[in-house]
Amino acid sequence: MRVTDGMRYTDVQRNLARLQSENADASQKATTGLRIANPSDDPIGAAELARLQASLGNASAHRDTIKAVRGDAELAESTLAQATEIMTRAKEIAMQGANDSLSADDRKALATEAQNLKSGLLQLANTRGSKGYIFAGSQTDQKAFDVNGLFQGDDVEQTVDVGSSTPTPVSASGAKAFTSAGGRDVFADLDALASALSNDDRAGIAASIDQVDASQKQIITERARNGLTVSKLDSTDSVLDQLGTDLGKRQADVGAADPFEAYSRMTVLGQSLQRAVQVSRQILDTTSYWNR
Amino acid sequence: MGSISQLLNTARDALTAQSYGLSVTGQNLANVNTAGYVRREALLETRALGTQTTGTVQATGLRRITDQFLERRQYESTGLSSAAQEHDQRLASLEALFNDPSGSGLGSAVGALFNSFSALAANPSDTTVRQNVLDSASALSQRVNDTANTIAQSRADLLHDAQTTTSQINESAQAIARLNAQISSAEAQGHDAADLKDQRNRLLLDLASKVDVRTINSSGSIVVQVSGTTLVDGADARQLSVDLDSEGKLKILASRDGGQATDVTQFLTGGSLAGIRETRDVDLFAVAKKLDAFVFDVATAVNQQHQQGFGLDGGTGRDIFDVSTVPEGAARALKVSADVFGKPEALGASGSAATVPGGSGNAALLSALSEMPIVFGNSRSVGQAYGDIVGDVASRKASSASMLESRQAISAQIDAMHQAMSGVSLDEEFVNLTKFQRAYEASARVLTTADELLQELINRVGR
Repeated sequence: MRVTDGMRYTDVQRNLARLQSENADASQKATTGLRIANPSDDPIGAAELARLQASLGNASAHRDTIKAVRGDAELAESTLAQATEIMTRAKEIAMQGANDSLSADDRKALATEAQNLKSGLLQLANTRGSKGYIFAGSQTDQKAFDVNGLFQGDDVEQTVDVGSSTPTPVSASGAKAFTSAGGRDVFADLDALASALSNDDRAGIAASIDQVDASQKQIITERARNGLTVSKLDSTDSVLDQLGTDLGKRQADVGAADPFEAYSRMTVLGQSLQRAVQVSRQILDTTSYWNR
Repeated sequence: MGSISQLLNTARDALTAQSYGLSVTGQNLANVNTAGYVRREALLETRALGTQTTGTVQATGLRRITDQFLERRQYESTGLSSAAQEHDQRLASLEALFNDPSGSGLGSAVGALFNSFSALAANPSDTTVRQNVLDSASALSQRVNDTANTIAQSRADLLHDAQTTTSQINESAQAIARLNAQISSAEAQGHDAADLKDQRNRLLLDLASKVDVRTINSSGSIVVQVSGTTLVDGADARQLSVDLDSEGKLKILASRDGGQATDVTQFLTGGSLAGIRETRDVDLFAVAKKLDAFVFDVATAVNQQHQQGFGLDGGTGRDIFDVSTVPEGAARALKVSADVFGKPEALGASGSAATVPGGSGNAALLSALSEMPIVFGNSRSVGQAYGDIVGDVASRKASSASMLESRQAISAQIDAMHQAMSGVSLDEEFVNLTKFQRAYEASARVLTTADELLQELINRVGR
């Protein structure tokens, strides 16, 4: 084949340009740690990365949501625990009041304590969380119960999206814990107990024992349900945490460059480029042979 | 029988011929780096004077060392390579629009909106959380508008570039037509017109980088066909122009001044004009359409769900986005609806009027949309659909890069073959230079010898 000077120069230019381009590409991969610097480097991988990014974003948002609602669910849990204790005391008062050895005055004193227990329970039922009154259902901007223990909220549960197929309920129900929606009107039962004690009504006191007991069980049931919500949130959170880790790993598998491979490729190409420059110089030198 | 005067004539002719050889070698050396230059060879032959043997030499002209077949292959490969290069470069800009590893891209903006719905469900009455939903909706609209506008602007720029390219094609066509006339005239007068032919070659190569070129040699003149139509025939040049069809796609028309125009778009296969057309009317058109469908589906689904919700003010049936009634143009037109713009309390987080302000049922459903198949005919989730778009753009770019690589390799091979035949080799020319120089020196020596012989004769006879 006839070799001309134009061919020599073109070949040298083309080879050096190609090596420089490959070298720049390898340097970029080694320095950024990204295997897919541009989507066209691996179209299937790039599409998967975009989908993984969306899934990771969802998982992270769901975990944020769990963090945001878990505080109020825990607050409801501890509040219902305190309410249970109040009801235990109320039951003790009722049983004490039923004791025949007590005088009418003693029962009046117990009636006062029963009223105080009701006030304490009312305060607990009107606990405020991060989003308002936690036992008022959706009516978070107003107290769940008025001073007389009349329910002002509703039985609507707050639901959030944590990646399940249906929205997940996350709030404790004040209606089910304290009102007849759960079976017993807890405040009415405490009122009845106080009233029976105050009036020295032994039959009323005896009846109150069962009523207060039923009310306490109602609160315990709601507490258990709420505890289940917290536990479900925790298990969902750990599933999402694991999912995030798995997705992150997959993201690294698809998008990240192997640092050793990237570095050695950059080194090899750098040396190739140096050699190519030396060889090119020799090729170009031969053309000036006749000028010597 | 030879005579001294004949020897003088032989030496004279030899000096002239070798000098011509030196001149042609000089031309080759001078043009070693000139684009389109075809190396030349001095044609020397013995001069015949009737039946007499004189043995003198004469330069009859020069020969351009070229091959029409190779030239045609070179125009073709240059055209295909240029088309691929233009296509690949333009697609790189498109690819950059969908390359968002930094998390500031369109995919992240879509994700942020659904994440803000999730946060709203967790805290439905919080004004800051509500404002964050509106901010995310605005950011998404802005990002979508920017992406769609950039694609639209690229298409507008490509139209302008197509018009500029056709103007350049027309100028080249006229210049080639003029050269055709000059070459025909020069050849009719017995000249080789090598310089003019080189100029025409350079113009043809330049033309081939802009549009697909086929040439037919016709007695010194060249007929140039582009996109299946004759652009130059002898001294006559037609013109290309650009128009838009009913879909807004490029229409390449060929016409004579004032004559009827022929649509040659479907025959356009090479040159930057083909690359421009393919990028503008195939890739950008398809990606813009896909983006419109994506935005339309997402915005419509969000609106439909949001209409079911109730705001803190008790209002319902409101949209979050203003979106067109059909997918076409949805991405450029998307904006936050006046129903909710600047009114965080108007966002419908609650599922019913009675559950305001703490009800979060609708916000949870809005958030859940992100993982439901609501895009591309309810077949893909938002993340999957965006991944599809990224994959589509990436495939287009990867395929154009691969096409560019193979076409450039073919073009380089043809160029090398053409160079091997028509390029100047300094080694050869230095040898030729020495060859003609030595021959010239030898001829001069013959002249000196003849002169000495004459001198001797004159001196002896003259005594």
